[in-house]
Amino acid sequence: MKMLAVEIKDPADGPGADDVRRAQVGDVDSFEKIYREHSPRIYALCLRLMAGDAQSATELMQDVFIRAWRRLDTFRGECAFSSWLHRLAVNVMLENARSDGRRTARVLPMEDTGKLPGAAKSSGIELSMDLESAIASLPRGARMAFVLHDVEGYQHQEIAGQLGLSVGTIKAQLHRARRLLRERLER
Amino acid sequence: MTHEVVRHLLDDYVAGDLTEDARVPVLDHIGVCAICRSEVDDLEKLAVQAAALPRAVEPPVQAWAEIRSVIERDARVERTVSRRSSSRFRAQPYALAAAGLLVALVSSGGTALYLRERAAPSVAVAPPAAATADPAGAATLAAFTIEENNYLREAAPLADVLEQQQGVLAPETVAQLKKSLRIIDDAILEARNALARDPGNRTLVEMLSANYRHKVDLLRRTTEMTRSS
Repeated sequence: MKMLAVEIKDPADGPGADDVRRAQVGDVDSFEKIYREHSPRIYALCLRLMAGDAQSATELMQDVFIRAWRRLDTFRGECAFSSWLHRLAVNVMLENARSDGRRTARVLPMEDTGKLPGAAKSSGIELSMDLESAIASLPRGARMAFVLHDVEGYQHQEIAGQLGLSVGTIKAQLHRARRLLRERLER
Repeated sequence: MTHEVVRHLLDDYVAGDLTEDARVPVLDHIGVCAICRSEVDDLEKLAVQAAALPRAVEPPVQAWAEIRSVIERDARVERTVSRRSSSRFRAQPYALAAAGLLVALVSSGGTALYLRERAAPSVAVAPPAAATADPAGAATLAAFTIEENNYLREAAPLADVLEQQQGVLAPETVAQLKKSLRIIDDAILEARNALARDPGNRTLVEMLSANYRHKVDLLRRTTEMTRSS
């Protein structure tokens, strides 16, 4: 069964194209519109990558948008703007992890699971919360592979490229993540 | 295909990544092996649950204000830098090095002067702001930490380029640039230590930001110069 591809809402071609162009020439209000449109998805990604730590996720997301602003001139519309932002988020997260070893060691406190998206769902709430908590408790490499592949829909090759790892390593991390998740969800 | 071989292929089978040649024997095995059938069911269920997780969650409301303040400050700095950086500096390496030293001395002098004034008894009437008791201070420090990380990341590759390309510059120019960078780094360290003791101090934040900007600007202009040499 193939995973869903990342949903693409591309302001470079769609209704937000003007905002991207205006932001590229320094219009902060247009950049705010871009932020309003994309921040919920980027924040959800950051929240999962940072194991449900809301403060770290907010800092990471802020970092992503500040970087995006500074690098807007490098966005040439060759890919979806949302994909460009996602890649930036993953890259910033990896750089942060390298420069701050403490972030990699963070473990999700149980009370933080309520901040994860699944907790807000009215149906299947227990299942979602359990899965979110289980994802958050995964080792970092396995968590990143699982979030990027099974949740965000990236292909093995793309993840391997972004993380600078081989496809085999990503598959091994995914296998490990799924095994651990199944074990933890069965408890 | 043995049971053990098939078990290693189940992730790819569920993901639809197996070739037809490999898929058929796995499918045959699943038909007769309850353990593998159960594993496939679990993997499929997990994939469905993961794909169904919400993809969006609203970030904290104050997050944008902090981003906006950083990018507006960026814009102000860029305007100032573009006014100041003339082609004269690009064409004349020594002039850039000398200007860098001047900037470094001003940064360092300003920081030192401010810290000395703060240390004087007459100004030490108010107790230092405690991070735990001052949410505004914590917010100031948090916003600055993001900015600081960006400066550090921006500066690191520029410093690497400078290190690799310094051969194209005159030794005395390199020496003066390095001296300037050391002076700025010292000023940054001094102000950073002061900020750690007084996280709500906006003057220190402004001062540190200015020092970082000077450093990045000096590195950027120097690396541009080495590239065009």
